[in-house]
Amino acid sequence: MDTGRKVPVSFLQEDVEGEENTILIRRTLRSGQKFYYDGNVIVMGDVNPGAEVVATGHVIVMGQMRGMVHAGAEGDESAMVMAFRLLPTQLRIANHITRPPDDEIPPGTFPEVAKIKNGVVTIESYQTGRTAV
Amino acid sequence: MGEVIVVTSGKGGVGKTTTTANLGTGLAQLGMKVALVDADIGLRNLDVVLGLENRIVYDITDVTGGHCRLRQALIKDKRYEGLFLLPAAQTKDKTSVNPDQMKELCADLRQEFDYVIIDCPAGIEQGFKNAIAGADRAVVVTTPEVSAVRDADRIVGLLEAAELRDPKLIVNRVRYKMVKAGDMMSIEDIIDILAIDLLGVVPEDEMVVITTNRGEAVVCDDHSRSGQAYRNIVRRITGQQVPLLSMEEDGLMSRIRRMIGFK
Repeated sequence: MDTGRKVPVSFLQEDVEGEENTILIRRTLRSGQKFYYDGNVIVMGDVNPGAEVVATGHVIVMGQMRGMVHAGAEGDESAMVMAFRLLPTQLRIANHITRPPDDEIPPGTFPEVAKIKNGVVTIESYQTGRTAV
Repeated sequence: MGEVIVVTSGKGGVGKTTTTANLGTGLAQLGMKVALVDADIGLRNLDVVLGLENRIVYDITDVTGGHCRLRQALIKDKRYEGLFLLPAAQTKDKTSVNPDQMKELCADLRQEFDYVIIDCPAGIEQGFKNAIAGADRAVVVTTPEVSAVRDADRIVGLLEAAELRDPKLIVNRVRYKMVKAGDMMSIEDIIDILAIDLLGVVPEDEMVVITTNRGEAVVCDDHSRSGQAYRNIVRRITGQQVPLLSMEEDGLMSRIRRMIGFK
C-alpha cells in the first residue's frame, strides 16, 4: 500500500484548487484570545465575546460564534463565515465590516452562513451542499 | 501538605475579598488550619474585612524581601482557632513581589496549613500573575452582569494558559427576583459562556455590608442567606455534595407558602 500519496481517489478540480491550509481548533476561544491563520479555520467549540478569529480563508465555527470574526482577511471576497449560531459582535469579510442590526431581530437557532452577495454582506441559513459562490 | 487556592475574577468589586474571608473563616470553623494571603499589594483590603488591620506589623513584602520570618508576619485570628492572615503592604505596589517569590511563599505555607487561600487583585497584570504563581486550584468569582462575565471569561482563558485547569465558579450577588423577571443573567446564561464547574451561588445580602463594616465574616451569621451559601461552598470545597439553595426569597409569604406545601 502506497501511503505517500495524498491525492484523493475521486475529486473535482475545484476541491484541490488554491491548496489552502485549514486548521482545526478543538476548544472554545475565550475573551481576549486572538487567532490569526493563513488559510481556513474551523473551531470545534464556541467563540466567546471578546475573542477574535482572523483568517485569510473561510471561518467555520461548530458552536456559537459570539466574538469578532474576519474571513478573507487579505481581501478574498469569496470567503464565508459559518456557525451553528451566528451572533458575532462584529463580522468582517475582506474589506467589509458589519455588525448586528440595532433593532433586535431574534437570532436564528439554526446554522447560518455570512457571505458577500452583490457587494453586500448577507446572512442566510446554511443549506448543505450549496455553499459554492 | 495543604492546598493553595487562588480566588480571582478579573473584574473589581465582585466579591473576591469577601469570598476569601468567608471561605477561610468557614474552613477554620470546620477545624482546618487556614492561611489567608492578601496579594493585593498597595490596595490591601483583606485585613479590614477580617477586622485585623490594627494588628499588622509585618506584611508579605517583608517576608519575600527577607526582612522577617513568615511566622512573624502571620496574624492569628483570635476568634477562630486555625485561621491566620498574611497581610499585603499598603505603602508599596504590585511590582514589589515577583511570581517566583510567591511560588516559594506558597510552598512554605503549604507545609503548615490545610488550606492556603490567596486573595487576587483585580486585573490581569503583575498582581494577577503574582497571585496565581503558587496556586494549585483557582476559584473564579463573578456577578451576573455582562461586563463581569466578560472579564471572568478572559481570566479563565489566562488560567488555562497558566496550566491552572478546571477552575470553579462562584456567582455572587444574585438577585433572584430580577433573574425570574428576566432582568438579570441567570446562572445557566453565565455557565453557557464560561463553561466551568459551578462551586456555588451567593445571593445579594445586606448583611454582607453590615458584617464587613464590623470586621466580621458573614459566614458566622446563622440567619443570613449569604452566610448559608458560603457555608455550603465551604463544605463543597472539602468534598461534600451540597445542593444549591432554593431560589425563593426568604420573605414571610414564601415561608408561609413553604409551610403549607406549595413550591
